[in-house]
Amino acid sequence: MAAEHFHLAWFLQGSSIQAWGEPWTGNISEEWGTADLFLDLARNIERAGFDYLLLEDSVYIGQNWQNSRDIFLENGMSVPRQEPSIIAALIAAATTRLGVVPTLSTFAYAPYLVARIVSTLDQVSSGRGGWNMVTGSSDLSAQNFGFDGLPEHDTRYDMAEEFIAVVTNLWNSWEPGAIVANRESGVLIDPTKVHTIDYAGKYYKSRGPLNSGPSPQGRPVIAQAGGSARGKMFAAQYADTIVAHVKGVDMMKAYRADVVANMLQCGRDPNDCKTLFLINPVLSDNAEDAKHRAKQRAVQAGKNLDIRLAQMGWSTNIDFSGFDLDAPVGELTTNGHQHSLAQFLRKAGKGTLREAITDYTTQGLSVDLVGTPDQVAGQMAEVMQEVGGDGFLFTQGAMSRRSIAEITDGLVPALQQRGLVRKAYGHKQFRDNLLEF
Amino acid sequence: MTAKPFHLSWFMNFSPDEWDTPFGNGGSPWDGQFYVDMAKALERACFDYIMLEDTLMVSDIYGGDAKATMKHALQAPKHDPMPLAALISAGTRNLGVVATMSTLAYPPFLLARLSATLDHLSGGRFGWNIVTSGEDSAAQNFGMDKLPPREQRYEMADEYVDLVCKLFDSWEPDAVVKDRETGVYADHTKIHPIHFDGKYFKCRGPLNTVRSPQGRPVFVQAGGSPRGREFAARNADSIIATANGVAGMKAYRDDVRRRAAAAGRNPDDIKVLFLIYPIVAETEAEAYDKHHRMVSSPRFIERALASISTVTDIDFSQFDLDAELPKLTTNGEQGSLDKFAQWGSGKTLRQLASERFGGVPAEIELIGTPDSVAARMGEVIEEVGGDGFLISCPFQRVSRRFIAEITEGLVPALQRRGLMRTAYTKTTLRDTLREF
Repeated sequence: MAAEHFHLAWFLQGSSIQAWGEPWTGNISEEWGTADLFLDLARNIERAGFDYLLLEDSVYIGQNWQNSRDIFLENGMSVPRQEPSIIAALIAAATTRLGVVPTLSTFAYAPYLVARIVSTLDQVSSGRGGWNMVTGSSDLSAQNFGFDGLPEHDTRYDMAEEFIAVVTNLWNSWEPGAIVANRESGVLIDPTKVHTIDYAGKYYKSRGPLNSGPSPQGRPVIAQAGGSARGKMFAAQYADTIVAHVKGVDMMKAYRADVVANMLQCGRDPNDCKTLFLINPVLSDNAEDAKHRAKQRAVQAGKNLDIRLAQMGWSTNIDFSGFDLDAPVGELTTNGHQHSLAQFLRKAGKGTLREAITDYTTQGLSVDLVGTPDQVAGQMAEVMQEVGGDGFLFTQGAMSRRSIAEITDGLVPALQQRGLVRKAYGHKQFRDNLLEF
Repeated sequence: MTAKPFHLSWFMNFSPDEWDTPFGNGGSPWDGQFYVDMAKALERACFDYIMLEDTLMVSDIYGGDAKATMKHALQAPKHDPMPLAALISAGTRNLGVVATMSTLAYPPFLLARLSATLDHLSGGRFGWNIVTSGEDSAAQNFGMDKLPPREQRYEMADEYVDLVCKLFDSWEPDAVVKDRETGVYADHTKIHPIHFDGKYFKCRGPLNTVRSPQGRPVFVQAGGSPRGREFAARNADSIIATANGVAGMKAYRDDVRRRAAAAGRNPDDIKVLFLIYPIVAETEAEAYDKHHRMVSSPRFIERALASISTVTDIDFSQFDLDAELPKLTTNGEQGSLDKFAQWGSGKTLRQLASERFGGVPAEIELIGTPDSVAARMGEVIEEVGGDGFLISCPFQRVSRRFIAEITEGLVPALQRRGLMRTAYTKTTLRDTLREF
């Protein structure tokens, strides 16, 4: 039987000074400002037929370790990072087929502004614009915008519902065919086809219409990463693609089954949203060397527990610095990424914090993928077969031009040879490519 | 003491990129994009130039047919370097672009015109790698029965270069006046026929292209034999050198510089770049493993022998792999043959083949971490006196991963040691070469 195609995308996270001090990262500490590494990444994954590049973001400097920014600054952890909508525009200009998905937090941008930025991105990219919708996960980020802290988790989703309603109404404020450009009558835009939205909700108000005009896709692609029950339902309602981070094939399978069930419940065709699972494969020319590298990754993790815990604290909003490394993790709660914490606690079980963080950060993200390009392609095929779809999101902690080439010139050709991923784009627009298979 | 920077360039050709390894997915670079991307990476790393080697035949020396040539895509297919040079020029702003054209293949007028045009397109960054061709099969593609003898080839090349230089100078620097008042574009009194009438070539001139930004393109040459060195010393701005070991490199460079001075040139105007095949990895052990895996594979041995057969016009498939090589001479590249054969070393042909690229005795050993290889390169240049290296890899079979290892690993390590520039300061290739 011919193998089913699956989708590939890239989750670009961390700092703009990617992997400083790691091998093969050149003069990144001097060159990062121009974002050339990210543009090279975009061109390369487009050559490899990826669906999209997602630019993850946060709008604060971490302080979740000994209540200090030191460890974050000293190690360049998610800092510095540049405004994703600007980088997205550069990426759009450097590519012709790749979907471009900047992250814009609902607490940081007014809905009108998000609608306008993303529709402009869709215009300048000829229909390849997207928006990774996040509600924010740290009080520290909210404090940069004049708030004392973030609203609590469920309220954030209430607000998000309104936010997305404003944004989609604004996108719809221009009917198709509004630009008539009739030389005889001298009319450029038909006023009867451009409407105010007059939205007045509990949290947001907006008059409209959008002044940036219609966008090629009508509605740019929406990406979402909700892992909590509420987040998952939200994604099932609005998302075209979901960033999924769950550990192990069984969890992946269950997660996707949830998405499908939720979508059916919302009256959507489950094929209209693609769930992509985060992975970070370890590749080498030969199997032994790949295993060796995977082991080295664990050894390195064991040496830098503070950094690992600070990173975990950054995403869960918990300062682990006062915790006993050799005591059981126990029960924790957060108003940040519920799902990240739940994942961590589930993996930790009754183990100590030391064991938990070492395990958590040394295993593969969704699944362990270690070997030659052909071996890893085989492992990915098996996982997808089991999970049922829809694809993978690559992410790399130490991204370099060399590690990008290992994916685009090693792993992807091996996947293509097995008929698992596209060899050429079927469409010009982002959503059409997502829905191609 | 602070380190003095040296020059770094890359030796490649318009042939298939790496296509049959775990991280080499190429093999169809024919739209040029792979090599344009490569040139951009080299420019980011501040290389002096990218050098497009070329040959003009499908070799059938090894084994008496083209089987090995085509099986391994050795020296063929190889697409025309001139259009690629134009694409690379358009994709870069500072990198020198050096293309190979054989005096055997191009009428001098055509070559001068192409070179001047490319020098304009690139804003003064074009170089001509002067070759005379060393294969009878190339000569036969141009209507000859075989190559002229080596001595005559050099005599022809002398005359050829003399002619094209006259063509390059046939427009005085201020010939284009663009005077709106008098309506004059170019002043014909500053554009001169050359009326060249030599033993081998005749040409009237003037060139019908405007004088090029560099006056004449940068001349690059690879001369191993004494006659070749003499030619290079008189004409070249940069020399591609393959010498045996550090002492051999020093002797070679000193000799070229002596010859240049004797010919009335400033020896510093010639940059001798030594061809190297560095292998870098995250650890020393990994680098040596990588090297060993590569050079001991039967595929490598066959490719190495087929490639040396091509440039020497000698069929090496006739010799026993596990015996010593008999003494040989060639009308092809004698320098390459001597270097390959390591006469008197007592080595078997198999050993010679695996040492053909990057073996310890044939080359200075450059295998290790980026930092250790950078350190070794610095030591070598200090001993030799200058001027730099031309990076390449066996069979010019490059992958994006390999390019990244050099531009993101080795080059930054060289820069941290002050051995390589971190920014371009000049606009033309000749000025970039003479920067230090």
